[in-house]
Amino acid sequence: MPESQQTAFILLSILILTSAFCVVLFRNLIYSALSMIGCFLGVAGIFILLHAELVAAAQVLIYVGAISVLVIFAIMLTGHRAGDLRLFFHKQAWVAVPICAVAGIALMVVMATANYNATKDAQNPSDDAIASLLFNEYAFPFELVSLALLVAMVGAVILAMKEKK
Amino acid sequence: MTPLQQYLALSIALFFIGSWGVLARRNIILIVMCVELMLNAINIALVAFSNYSPTGAGRGEVFVFFVFALAAAEAAIGLAIAIAMYRLKERLSIGDFDEMKG
Repeated sequence: MPESQQTAFILLSILILTSAFCVVLFRNLIYSALSMIGCFLGVAGIFILLHAELVAAAQVLIYVGAISVLVIFAIMLTGHRAGDLRLFFHKQAWVAVPICAVAGIALMVVMATANYNATKDAQNPSDDAIASLLFNEYAFPFELVSLALLVAMVGAVILAMKEKK
Repeated sequence: MTPLQQYLALSIALFFIGSWGVLARRNIILIVMCVELMLNAINIALVAFSNYSPTGAGRGEVFVFFVFALAAAEAAIGLAIAIAMYRLKERLSIGDFDEMKG
């Protein structure tokens, strides 16, 4: 990677990892949701560094635009009280730290020692190539995903609907 | 470290921060948010592999679009369930919902 890309990668990594920690550690859910938006924007920056501009645009539209608004609406529609740390963190929170750390380090070791046969430079194709892949080779999964979205939409409406008395 | 490994290391770190959040927090909405973080980590790994792969270029990005659509569906369903649960019990702590315990 060139020097400037390396710097951008390090800055974006710091943004992503600190805001991810903030999502877990903030007691106020609104603060968590806002740091989650920061994390999503950092991931969009990483996609741009990886020459995947279309994915970065979709990330901003779907995650920053839609999912964050959905989460903030859900937080507003439900009450949450301030109080003791035990209200926010599960009893198993301190056991979960070493488990996640050990699993993460094990995966890092596997990742660092694996043989990838990777290229040095960017290979991501243009948006045209991705669109033709999506609508030719992957047309059937694409239709399945759209069906899943439709089912999820109907299910979400039915779940959140008030029951008629 | 090669560039690919840097991106994968970021992905692994983000994934396990998200899984720690899923295991540690009590609020259902926050657990949904942490699952979104984990899906984002997966997307970073997919795009990185797609970018540095000598043959399968672009396929990783196609899968990222599928993950986007399913993450949106998962968020909608998860938050609708959270709102329905809140309406039922006026609470959102996972410990309060143990009716299906065997």
